[in-house]
Amino acid sequence: MGKDTLKITGMTCAACSARIEKVIGKMEGVDEISVNLATEKAVISFDQEKTNLNEIIERIGKAGYGASEVKEKKLVDEDKLQKEREIRTLWTKFAVSAIFAVPLLYVAMGSMIWWLRFPIPSFLDPMQFPLNYSILQIVLTIPIVIAGYRFYTVGYKAIINRSPNMDSLIAMGTTAAIVYSLYSVYEIANGNFHAVEGLYFETAGVIITLILLGKFLESVTKGRTSEAIKKLMGLAPKTAIVIRDGKEYEVPIEEVEIGHIILVKPGEKIPVDGVVLEGNTSIDESMLTGESIPVEKKTGDQVYAASLNKNGMIHFEATKVGGDTALAQIIKLVEEAQGSKAPIAQMADIVSGYFVPIVFGIAVVSFLAWFIGGESLVFSLTIFIAILVIACPCALGLATPTAIMVGTGKGAEYGILIKGGEALETTHKINTIIFDKTGTITEGKPEVTDILTITGVERNQLLQLAASAEKGSEHPLGEAIVNEAEKENLELSKVDHFNAIPGHGIEVEILGIPMILGNKKLMTERNISLSELEQASNSLAEEGKTPMYIAMNQKIAGIIAVADVVKASSVKAIEKLQSMGLEVAMITGDNRRTAEAIAKQVGIVQVLAEVLPQDKSNEVKKLQAEGRKVAMVGDGINDAPALAQADIGIAIGSGTDVAMESADIVLMRSDLMDVPTAIQLSKSTIRNIKQNLFWAFAYNVIGIPIAAGLLHLFGGPLLNPIFAAAAMSLSSVSVLANALRLKRFKPYK
Amino acid sequence: MRKKILIITVSLLLILSLAACADTDVVGNESVDSFEKVLGAMENNVAEDEMNGGWALTSPDGRERFIWSKDYSAGTPHDVMLEFDAKPFIDAGLDVTKLPEGILIEDKIMVGSNLGDEELTYDGGATPIGSYEKLVELYRDRVKYHADLDHYGVDVGDGNMFEWAKDMGINDKDIVFVVDPKMFTDAGVDPVIVEGWVFAKVKVMDDAGKPIEVDKFLKPFSIQ
Repeated sequence: MGKDTLKITGMTCAACSARIEKVIGKMEGVDEISVNLATEKAVISFDQEKTNLNEIIERIGKAGYGASEVKEKKLVDEDKLQKEREIRTLWTKFAVSAIFAVPLLYVAMGSMIWWLRFPIPSFLDPMQFPLNYSILQIVLTIPIVIAGYRFYTVGYKAIINRSPNMDSLIAMGTTAAIVYSLYSVYEIANGNFHAVEGLYFETAGVIITLILLGKFLESVTKGRTSEAIKKLMGLAPKTAIVIRDGKEYEVPIEEVEIGHIILVKPGEKIPVDGVVLEGNTSIDESMLTGESIPVEKKTGDQVYAASLNKNGMIHFEATKVGGDTALAQIIKLVEEAQGSKAPIAQMADIVSGYFVPIVFGIAVVSFLAWFIGGESLVFSLTIFIAILVIACPCALGLATPTAIMVGTGKGAEYGILIKGGEALETTHKINTIIFDKTGTITEGKPEVTDILTITGVERNQLLQLAASAEKGSEHPLGEAIVNEAEKENLELSKVDHFNAIPGHGIEVEILGIPMILGNKKLMTERNISLSELEQASNSLAEEGKTPMYIAMNQKIAGIIAVADVVKASSVKAIEKLQSMGLEVAMITGDNRRTAEAIAKQVGIVQVLAEVLPQDKSNEVKKLQAEGRKVAMVGDGINDAPALAQADIGIAIGSGTDVAMESADIVLMRSDLMDVPTAIQLSKSTIRNIKQNLFWAFAYNVIGIPIAAGLLHLFGGPLLNPIFAAAAMSLSSVSVLANALRLKRFKPYK
Repeated sequence: MRKKILIITVSLLLILSLAACADTDVVGNESVDSFEKVLGAMENNVAEDEMNGGWALTSPDGRERFIWSKDYSAGTPHDVMLEFDAKPFIDAGLDVTKLPEGILIEDKIMVGSNLGDEELTYDGGATPIGSYEKLVELYRDRVKYHADLDHYGVDVGDGNMFEWAKDMGINDKDIVFVVDPKMFTDAGVDPVIVEGWVFAKVKVMDDAGKPIEVDKFLKPFSIQ
């Protein structure tokens, strides 16, 4: 099954995206397609044996839209340049259109707004020289129609393809105005001077101008919704200094290949990911981790593209370039999230699919109803045009994706990577949140605090044997013991036999001595009596320390206690979450006493202790079975099953590890305050989406009946199609402007 | 940018050439055809007026005349004018001494304008319609279209007009003499009792294009 992203052009409203989804979704071999109007991208999953990308692109082309493959390594600036070109083109079209629309409106309306005393040359007096007056309007309208020709080419093509869109409405509305006006000109030329009242050129001209203005503003505003991603993209340097045969060559970043040796001087940015070969320095990796304190780097350490080399000069070997760097992965993640759809958008998508035909139906019915009801053709035509022009499917289509774009972009700005619209939407529904203890609530870098031995066992001997057994262990407790032994310069012994007992400990044989290292449960299972050290063990646990029992020759030999430090932000974050009405729980494989001691420190009441990694997801399931929406916060590696089981998995860590794959939300920093921030961001975004949808629906629900003459029916005014066009343009822009309000979102501190 | 300039230039040229094109003056051209029909329908009431150097169209009751010049260089006081009986106005209280000089000639009131001093020449001799065509050609601003009544008209000056129906077949007022009442009311006329004339409000545009209603004496005739 292949998955590809296509850049789509020619879409103007939600009906377009719905059309593409419908057409491509029907193709044999296409499993799933999601078209995003705001990002103008389509993500397609398809069976490569049944179809291919070229066929899909061709089919999209037949539907009246442009499609091209998005190359992973495509330069960031190209997209930006394309957007800028689009904005410039729209501005030019609007400018040309406005240059002719202003005099057109002046000539057409000037004589009617006599109180403003607009001087109209006598040879353009509509009653005395109606043909001059009409022909001038035709001449002024032609360039406007040329500027807005896309409404006609796309709009009518969409009608032919039986997928009318916003352009179709504009095209039909303005065509009706122009055709009727041309007929009026014909009548005038034949002596029916009253037909001068049937000229609607200025309506068509001003509608096109206003819609072009709306499209221009929409394009500018849309550009601002993706500023976050541009900021990320802008982080990457454009060139790198490559060392070849001992000489320095400055090359464009695209030419850097894996294995190149790169020189980075103080104050310069790291161009690609790699491993330090020579030199020491400190590097600001805040773009990746959010941590502002520079990280010390020496030979063998990883460096990441776009991070800032502070003070030393280093040589490093490129290991990941182009689209494979950590930065590129983050950008891809954010882009995918911005391009994804939230379930809340479904209703808007469904409505958009039927919107245009329904509006057209309403326009025709209203036209006929007024005409048959005795109103003039001009009156009925005004109604027809106003309905077609006021209806705005774009606002509906933009309501959700723009808010998601700004929301996820804003999250990325604060190091909160939300992996899609669905995650964003689900997050605001969370009512229970479970924190993993080690590495999440605590720093995850435990240290040995106490070493207790039974009579006959030396302290250093116990530490040396335990460290030998744990050497190579990735478990934080094991690492702490090994570190302690290293600190005390103890020489470690070779392990003859090793057996890991997941969630419990290990079983080893060193220098012929069989040893068991692990928790109380493991000791009990192996019938090893702990009575001699039980009291001391309890005291340690009450202090929040984790006791690791060490048995030699099936007999308890001692305890090495390890303690982890609670993160500075944990207490505040948990307090914030509780104040937000969320139930907070802690889950850990640690013994209950230690877990409760830590929980007490951070203010958590509900503690799920002594839970094996594989059972963590079951605990999540149990809470879900109670009807709760559960978020699991963990480090994303050993908590992976629980993260996957939870309604929302929140991984804490840098963007360089597996966490990015397993969670719904990745927190780049290890600051727990980002958890309430992520939830609040989700709430704000969903609220924004709801506001957008409300206004988009309300606008159409109110606007269309007014355009249909509802107010006129009760003695009120009739809506001029020009005002309808202005309202239509403003509706899209207002939805976008509302989405942009999310840019003001501030994280909790 | 070059495209933009090209479009703007071509459009401006089109506008200018259109403005200069007489063929687009449908009101002027149509008024000629229409006036010709009126003249045809009142053939016996159209005659040369040597005294005024032009042509006269007399109303069916013989009390009013619309006169238009056939040569503006002839030196007559008016090139376009209305002439009508003074009696109904005197009967309604007109103090003739209060009328401006030159308005009352014997028992007739004459209102009109001098348009210019051009010597008009005609192919094959002057005709009533030929002279009207010259009027349209040279003084188009004197020819009006009155949308409310679907009438064409010749503005003889000072708010006085001669109007005729664009389509006599569908209009009950085929010709109308329109006289501004101010001069008469200032001279003591009670406007509502002027025999044969209707004192009425008429919708017109002022100089700024503002629609206003003004008082007029109207004398309409159906000639078909």
